[in-house]
Amino acid sequence: MAEMKSDPNKVWPTGLTEPEAEEVHRHLIQGTQIFGFIAVLAHLFAYIYSPWLK
Amino acid sequence: MIYGKIWLVVKPTVGIPLFLGAVAVSSFLVHYMLLTHTTWLPAYYEGHAKKTASIEAPVDTAAGPPTTLVAVAPQK
Repeated sequence: MAEMKSDPNKVWPTGLTEPEAEEVHRHLIQGTQIFGFIAVLAHLFAYIYSPWLK
Repeated sequence: MIYGKIWLVVKPTVGIPLFLGAVAVSSFLVHYMLLTHTTWLPAYYEGHAKKTASIEAPVDTAAGPPTTLVAVAPQK
C-alpha cells in the first residue's frame, strides 16, 4: 500500500492517475458511441422490415 | 473529456460492469415488455406477418388462353 501511494499523481480511492481516468472514460465513450450506432441501425432495419409503428 | 474524472472516485472494475449491466437490463426489459404487452410483435415472431393482397382477395386466374385447336389422335 505504501508503495502504491508513493506516486503523487495517483488519486484515491481508486488509485488511478488523472490521465488514466481520462483514458478509461475515452474508451467507454467510444464503446457507447459504437453501440449506439449499431442500435440506431438495428432500429432502422426494424422500422423498415417489421410491423413496428405500422 | 467531460466527466472523465469520475474514475478517480469510482473504481472502473465496479463502475463499468454496473454501467454495461444497466444498459443490458434496461434494453432487455424494454424489448421483453414489447413482446408481452403488444399483439403485433409476438405475431411477427410467430411468422404471422402482414397478410398479402392475394390472401385478402384471391383473384381467379385462367388456366390458359382460349384456343380453337383440337387434339387429334394420330392415324395408324
